[in-house]
Amino acid sequence: MTAETVAVGRVRPAGGALGLRHLITPLAVCAALAALYAWVGTLELDSIERRSLNRTVILTKAVEHIQLTLVATALVLVIAIPLGIVASRARNRLITPVILTAANLGQAIPCIGLLVLCTFLMGVGFQTALVGLVAYAVLPVLRNTMIGVQQVDPTLIEAARGMGMTRGQILRRVELKLAVPAILAGLRTALVLTVGVATLGAFVAAGGFGELIINGLKLNRMPVTVVGAVLTACIAFAVDWLGALAENLLKPRGM
Amino acid sequence: MGARTLRHTLALLAAATLTVTTVSGCGSADAVEASSAGNELAGAKFVIGSKDFTENIMLGQITVQLLKAHGAEVVDKTNLGGTAPNRKALESGSIDMYWDYSGTGWIEHLKNATPIQDSAEQFKATAAADLEKNKIQWIGPTPLNNTYALAIRSEKAKELGVKTISDVVELSKSKPEEVTLCIETEFSTRDDGLPGLSKAYGMTIPKDRISLLDTGVVYTETDKGQTCNFGEVFTTDGRIAALDLTVLQDDKHFFPSYNAAVTLRQETYQKHPALEKVLQPVIDKLDDATMQKLNARVDVDGEEPGKVSADWLDKSGFLGSGS
Repeated sequence: MTAETVAVGRVRPAGGALGLRHLITPLAVCAALAALYAWVGTLELDSIERRSLNRTVILTKAVEHIQLTLVATALVLVIAIPLGIVASRARNRLITPVILTAANLGQAIPCIGLLVLCTFLMGVGFQTALVGLVAYAVLPVLRNTMIGVQQVDPTLIEAARGMGMTRGQILRRVELKLAVPAILAGLRTALVLTVGVATLGAFVAAGGFGELIINGLKLNRMPVTVVGAVLTACIAFAVDWLGALAENLLKPRGM
Repeated sequence: MGARTLRHTLALLAAATLTVTTVSGCGSADAVEASSAGNELAGAKFVIGSKDFTENIMLGQITVQLLKAHGAEVVDKTNLGGTAPNRKALESGSIDMYWDYSGTGWIEHLKNATPIQDSAEQFKATAAADLEKNKIQWIGPTPLNNTYALAIRSEKAKELGVKTISDVVELSKSKPEEVTLCIETEFSTRDDGLPGLSKAYGMTIPKDRISLLDTGVVYTETDKGQTCNFGEVFTTDGRIAALDLTVLQDDKHFFPSYNAAVTLRQETYQKHPALEKVLQPVIDKLDDATMQKLNARVDVDGEEPGKVSADWLDKSGFLGSGS
């Protein structure tokens, strides 16, 4: 097994075009949504349930949840990829453990605790929830960036150097390009994690489907919890699917 | 940290000394079991649960120690989780009793959407329906009514001149930007929460002035006053006094009653009729002021719920040594 096959282990070798297998997830998500809609339709909802399960509320919560997820992921990309590159350089050997420890801490601290701590410093709302989400999702992207860059076959770098490329050129044109599949795999993991953790945003006025889940649990209204949970899962599947598409489109040709 | 540990140790030592003094007369190793409270429950065995917030844990602890003092063998499963896990554990027989509230029983277990305004009626209806439908017996109610209220930090209350919820309604017309509200998720959808309150008082607060938060965060944010001026609180919470919050008077008597009671399966109740005789005097003494003080000792001073409830039972003479 060569270094490249390890780095791209998660990516299937099939060609770039959209195949039938790419339709399975959206179809399954649509089927789940339709089943959920039909099931809720058969229930007789009391006033508490009606206040949570109506179009306005669900649309608002969906927008809040997706916003939280996307903004957090964008921030994670901006933070984790450069840090991952820095941590992967041999000459930065001394600071690599510091970066990794910080990223590990972010994931090890219970997210709800981190969120509540943040409210003391920054008050409540969208930004506070973002801090928690970003801290939680940095690690997988950082790790995968490191692994992706480090696993590039040294002979390829040697060859690039022989062609007269500078260090920066080697990084951009060879190492990063070959690391793309691994980075994207990390990003997919981060996205799915973020969708789940975003439910905790409900505790700090950031909205999202967590509100439905928590409310249903507290008031023993099962349909409210189920709708919140299924919709969260659907978003997770949908973003994972988008991640898969991105992997397919962005991975360097010939790999 | 060191000072605190030391204080804690000293407190424990003091408690131990007291225990030994109380016990020595009876000649037993266990203060609680050896008290002269009576042994009506000798031979009985109870598993006692509780919900996961301070007041309910306190009530659970009070029951644990009280029943022990009356000769029962008790398994302490307090702090078991939220309402739903406790209720399920009770129905399945994993626990024998836990404290619940009349409003909770009516709305959550019996699935009524509209509460009953009169507290005695609310309790009677809940206890009767739960016994008939689910064979769950309610022993109570306590005078304490852990209901919802709106609170505001005291200096701001003076500045804005608000004392009642009707004053808030006036304020929402004259200075709408001052009416910002911190509430829990469930308060936003309950009939006895914000939707009902808004209807009863004819008040509309725009969505962007309402923040949905976790319970604990509601208190701290209401105290800080940056996110919101008004917060949804529970009337028996110790943090109200500790954070110097002013509770607004519910001048239209909108909020329903949440009187506490011990809930248990009918068969347990019938098997041990002495339970009611043992519990009722304690239930009668638990009013809002008492509960606020007990809750504050745990939430504000950081004492152990078990110790606080033992202290209170002892001082009130329920462990048999008070007379």
